[in-house]
Amino acid sequence: MSFLTPLFLVALAGLAIPIVLHLIQKERKNVVQFPSLMFLRRIPYQSVQRRRIRHWLLLLMRLAALALIVLAFARPFFRNDGLGSAAASGAREVVVLLDRSYSMGYGDRWRRALDAARDAVNGLTPSDRGSIVLFSSGAEIAIRSTGDRGRLAAALAGLDTGAGATRFGPALKLAGSILGESPLPRREAILISDFQRAGWQGAEGVRLPEGAVLMPISVSGDEPANLAVTPVALQRSAFEGQERVTITAGAVNHSTAPASGVNLALEIGGRPIQTRQIALEANGSASTTFEPITLSERNVKATVRLAGDALERDNAFHFVLSPEDPIRVVIAERPGAPRETSLYLTRALAIGEAPRFQAAATQADALTAGDLAKASVVILNDAPVAQSTAERLQRFVQGGGGLFIAAGDRASWPASADILPGSIGPPVDRSKGNAARLGALEYGHSVFEIFRAPRSGDFAAARFYGYRSVTPNPGADVVARFDDGGAALLERRVGAGRVLIWTSTLDLYWNDLPVKPVFLPFVHRAMRHLAGYREPQPWRTVGDVVEPWSAPEASRGARTDASSRVVLTPAGQRVTLDEEGAEVLELLEQGFYEIRTQSGDTEPSAVVASNVDLRESDLAAMDPQEIRAAAMGRAGGGGTAEDVAPPTDQAQESAQRVWWYLLFAGLLFLGAETIVANRSTV
Amino acid sequence: MISSSAIPGARFVDPVVLARIGNLELVARSVVDGFINGIHRSPYFGASVDFAEHRGYVPGDDIRRVDWRLYARTDRYYIKEYEADSNSNFATLVDVSRSMGFGTRGITKLDYARMLAGCLTYLVHKQRDRIGLVAFDSDIVEHVPPSAKHMETVLHVLDRLQPSRPGNLRAPLHKMAEHFGRRGLLVLISDLYEDPDVVLEAVAPLRFRGNDLIVFHLLDPAELDFSFTDPSAFEDLESGEQIPIVPEALAGQYRELVRAHITGLTERFSANRVDYMLVNTSTPLDHALFSYLTTRERLTRVR
Repeated sequence: MSFLTPLFLVALAGLAIPIVLHLIQKERKNVVQFPSLMFLRRIPYQSVQRRRIRHWLLLLMRLAALALIVLAFARPFFRNDGLGSAAASGAREVVVLLDRSYSMGYGDRWRRALDAARDAVNGLTPSDRGSIVLFSSGAEIAIRSTGDRGRLAAALAGLDTGAGATRFGPALKLAGSILGESPLPRREAILISDFQRAGWQGAEGVRLPEGAVLMPISVSGDEPANLAVTPVALQRSAFEGQERVTITAGAVNHSTAPASGVNLALEIGGRPIQTRQIALEANGSASTTFEPITLSERNVKATVRLAGDALERDNAFHFVLSPEDPIRVVIAERPGAPRETSLYLTRALAIGEAPRFQAAATQADALTAGDLAKASVVILNDAPVAQSTAERLQRFVQGGGGLFIAAGDRASWPASADILPGSIGPPVDRSKGNAARLGALEYGHSVFEIFRAPRSGDFAAARFYGYRSVTPNPGADVVARFDDGGAALLERRVGAGRVLIWTSTLDLYWNDLPVKPVFLPFVHRAMRHLAGYREPQPWRTVGDVVEPWSAPEASRGARTDASSRVVLTPAGQRVTLDEEGAEVLELLEQGFYEIRTQSGDTEPSAVVASNVDLRESDLAAMDPQEIRAAAMGRAGGGGTAEDVAPPTDQAQESAQRVWWYLLFAGLLFLGAETIVANRSTV
Repeated sequence: MISSSAIPGARFVDPVVLARIGNLELVARSVVDGFINGIHRSPYFGASVDFAEHRGYVPGDDIRRVDWRLYARTDRYYIKEYEADSNSNFATLVDVSRSMGFGTRGITKLDYARMLAGCLTYLVHKQRDRIGLVAFDSDIVEHVPPSAKHMETVLHVLDRLQPSRPGNLRAPLHKMAEHFGRRGLLVLISDLYEDPDVVLEAVAPLRFRGNDLIVFHLLDPAELDFSFTDPSAFEDLESGEQIPIVPEALAGQYRELVRAHITGLTERFSANRVDYMLVNTSTPLDHALFSYLTTRERLTRVR
């Protein structure tokens, strides 16, 4: 028997108290006045038999009660070694969960982790079965439930850390499913990791099957020190007709010691071109800005790198630099339109950094196929459209272009080209009486989404004196309505493109919206929506999934080219993605993925920079027992004993709860003592 | 027992007690000096009906007392002498030392002593004897000289007696002995916490003058049977000294010692012709007095 808090046993000295009470009984301080002690004094003092214990039963009961209570407080428990070996007869299903997140590359963690995994494999008896699950941000089964120790050992050979971040949830779920399917009586999962705090977001609904035991084995050392490069900030500017970008890079210091003289190098295309030195405080970060770079070509691979430390992977940050493409907008007006017709529109489109808009005005009749090929969006600003132009526009929209029709009183559209969201009807005059106002906006629509929050744009302030009544076609959405229920903005998807009808003008002829603050964001959002614009992402994180078909980096070059592509991974592997399999590209490595067309272009059509998850670079460790508690449903106490990590004393003690019985017995004795004492007094 | 009488000490004269002992007499066993006719034998011959002796006539004798019948037979003059009856001095000596303040049955020994003294005084007063009272602890506290008119004074004094000081028998009793010039009846009421020899030595001077001495030894039942159970610190009422005592262990020896004490007293007093009466304060006073007085009367007759 062992004790969890043996210091309490000192209280056993308290057992002397009842004995002394029995012997002396001097503590009763009642004084009896007696006429004379003449006779009492004559009785020899020593012969007084006050030290004789008379109520042996009472004394023993008190002693027993005290001793039991003291023992209960000492939290006794029986060491389970013997029981463990007895229960160890059943065959085991062992799942070795091996963390191969990039933080395991710190120091000798990976070697120790492999050693621990080999120990676990070597500990298997011939009747046991073992699985090996490798996990980082995801989990994969390296080898599933085999009794062949040679195969298990072989699966461990040649492994290296990955670029992923630690996530315990998927690994434990996978282990739970393997253990759940196992018919063997004893089921164990051995979790070998550096137990980074960032890898555990709470319970995550992970629960091993009933009776399964999770044995965490931590390979984290004490006080890890690590530097990491943080994501860069890109500041674009135009300089002499060319685009320049200023790169601000930073580093973070995950240690309690300051780091000075840290060299940050900027590499373009693999060659270092600039180096900056920074100093980092303990648990602090610092940043530095490099000289601007002129962007002359697309898909420039850039890397910020710092001098090596114990963890190599987070010392580099990759990103892709490309000149930003503006959204090309063609504004088509009616012949002889006054200058003011598109004044507000062109002014609005002239403003804007991300993205930039490149607006070109032309006459609707003069729209050529060449104009449309270069354009992303065509705005028909209160212009009648001829049949041929409408057909060209129909093809343009079906090919992925965007068409915005501002329907003033001169706008018309031939009925044969059925791409409009509604048929444009006669004008509605609201110049008499109250002017019309925009009553209902579809804030879920991407055009109005930014106005969703309170005080982020008031469309109701704009007054509309006239608009064209439009009857929505089937398949069209009315995105905005006037206060009388008439449609204000309608949308329809046609092929790969979209068509929007604005039933009023974009100048001050029919409404005063162009002078309201919401006009500029409204126009910008509409253009971005029609052009299918997506924010360029200069870098991704390992674990992200990229759709090469729709990636803006990839799609811009050859929109119509839907043939299969080849992805060149940072490790140099060629992966073929074909359209039929709807393959997506999961970024598993750190570095640059090049996406090329099958036709054998020398230049990649797109480059994706993949970086490690920076949360992983914070090496702060958590208590493995937290995961154990969540996965097993309790803090400790295993159903079976484990050679690798036997249950702790606390776990054994709390499982046995001997103290509870002792305390109960002690209280029983106290109660019985009270009864017996009362009887004997009576 | 509480009386509405104007005399504060009247409560000590218990009608219940008197109803039982009212027809008894406390008569001095020895001759007592008195001035008026009473029930006690006088040291002198007098005009009573009890023939005492004949003696030869001497000139000057009253010829009326010549026994003429004897003269006829013997031809000599003899004078017939008669016993003289006298009244007596009666004094109660009450121990008011602190130990007398002890009592376990709702009544202290001093209360009992006061009632005993009151009842006896009243009884004696009815016999037309002179009554007095002395209260003492280590010294004489109160002194009422014997007088036929001192009944109320005695009762007053009895009322204000309080146990206040440690007691001592020898000094006050020796002092008293000098006061009692005339032979009389003395009743000593005390708990006699002294060695029997010391007690006897203390009372001896009272006897020397020819006083008839009656000793009432008052003891509480707790003092006799030592019925305590809880181990306690026992405090001496007189000295204040404390001794831790486990009564159950000591009771046997204690009772043995008390018995030996009483036996010692009994033996010594009877050897010195002193009436000794052990009174347990749990015994009703009337019972105690009745038994004593009847016993004394019987013994007197025998004598």
